[in-house]
Amino acid sequence: MDSWVRFSSQSQAKERVFRAAQYACTLLGYTLQQGGSGVQLLKMVKQLETHMSLTRKLMRLGNSAEAVEAAKRAVHLSDSVLRLCLTVAHLNKAMYFACDNVLWAGKVGLLPKLDQDKWSQRSFRYYLFALMLNLTRDAYEIRLLMEREARTSHGGSNATWTSSPSPENGDLSHPHPSSSSFPVAILPLLSERFGRQFHLLGTVLRSNPPLLLDLLKNACDVFIPLDRLGIYPTGQGFVGACGLASSVLSILTIVHPWLKLKP
Amino acid sequence: MESFVKFTNQSQGRDRIFRTTQYACALVKYLLRNNSARKELVVKLQSLESNMSSGRKLFRLGNTVNSIDAAKRTLQLSDPVLRLCLTVANINRALYFICDNVLWARNVGLVPGIDKERWSLNASCCYFMSLVMSLTRDVYVITQTMVQRTRERQFQEKMDQHLNDNPDVATVIVPQLDAFLFLLFQSLKSHPSVTLDTLKNICDIFIPLDRLGVYRSNPGVVGFCGLISSLLGIVSVLHPSLKIQP
Repeated sequence: MDSWVRFSSQSQAKERVFRAAQYACTLLGYTLQQGGSGVQLLKMVKQLETHMSLTRKLMRLGNSAEAVEAAKRAVHLSDSVLRLCLTVAHLNKAMYFACDNVLWAGKVGLLPKLDQDKWSQRSFRYYLFALMLNLTRDAYEIRLLMEREARTSHGGSNATWTSSPSPENGDLSHPHPSSSSFPVAILPLLSERFGRQFHLLGTVLRSNPPLLLDLLKNACDVFIPLDRLGIYPTGQGFVGACGLASSVLSILTIVHPWLKLKP
Repeated sequence: MESFVKFTNQSQGRDRIFRTTQYACALVKYLLRNNSARKELVVKLQSLESNMSSGRKLFRLGNTVNSIDAAKRTLQLSDPVLRLCLTVANINRALYFICDNVLWARNVGLVPGIDKERWSLNASCCYFMSLVMSLTRDVYVITQTMVQRTRERQFQEKMDQHLNDNPDVATVIVPQLDAFLFLLFQSLKSHPSVTLDTLKNICDIFIPLDRLGVYRSNPGVVGFCGLISSLLGIVSVLHPSLKIQP
């Protein structure tokens, strides 16, 4: 009970729970529709989803300020790529929240003449751009860690580096193959190289759970604006499942703060 | 901006802002009820108020657990009066939240067979009881402070000075009343957190009193009282030293 009290006192935590519930309703609605259930039940699920969505919009009313503060903090980062990615991502999130607030005002009736579709599209565009920058940041971190991992494993197996190429070495800076077998050995060589890269990627992600979690979260999230903007329509069921998965992952980062990717 | 972010990061902070807006809408709606030129604004305010109310109900969904946890903690207090008042107040708040959750489920359509009016009255009753217990606690703390003050020599000197300084007719005729009021105001001034909590509870109590039909005021009074108590609540969140302990 103590942990629930601590959890729910954070404004963000409850919002994540309701996000999970909202996308669960989306998924449930799709499943019920496919299963051919009653109109009444479908209507109730849809109504619940709309209610949660509108309430979450209400709860997000101050988040632009938070995102701008986060952008101000990200400007002081030492790494230039991280600095760029995170600052622009936070600014885009601030714009997304601003559009979201306008949408809320429209849905509530404060701005009855608002073009809701236009503002909805606008908000999803900012959201998509923020997610793409987050994914770029994830890819950059993975790249750095893979290079570091390759260097450490390269240094470890230095004695056997000049020997004939073998998968057990695990080094990327492979010496050029012998010229006589060059045209014949290129395909197995490439597959071997990709195999090593994947193995390295697996090692890096396994040893960095915050990065893995962030990558999975962003990858799941990106399908939502892609579907809503019509760039890559996947359908309500898939969107619901992705939204639910990313909400559960972000609840994990709140419950276990060490799982949150820093900065 | 940083203080705004810190404030709204707390779940309670945001809820207080929305409560303030909700009751401000109720008050303005009442003030404009006869103004035919502002009918559109009244409709907008009604929509905003009901939206905030239903949103806040959704976000209150887990608060029963919080109240039960608070009741468990207040059960450990040493002072028996405080222990009784606060534990009963917290239990009543937990019951209020349960009724509130049922009402939310009814509003959303999850349980259509519920008697909305009866559950709404139950919720108001539990809320009223928790406010009564909170006010009892406030009166007890103020009384304790007043008794403590009368025993202080420094305060006795201050009292004598006050009584001698004001040779008005009223104070001469009713010196005890004047002395009592002076003692009361001095005690309240020295404990701002208790004063704030007392004012907040007094303002809040008009809401269930109107709802239960015990003391029917009008929507304007309810809106005004709710607005004042929400603003006082915001002050106590902004300045944690002004929050009454325990």
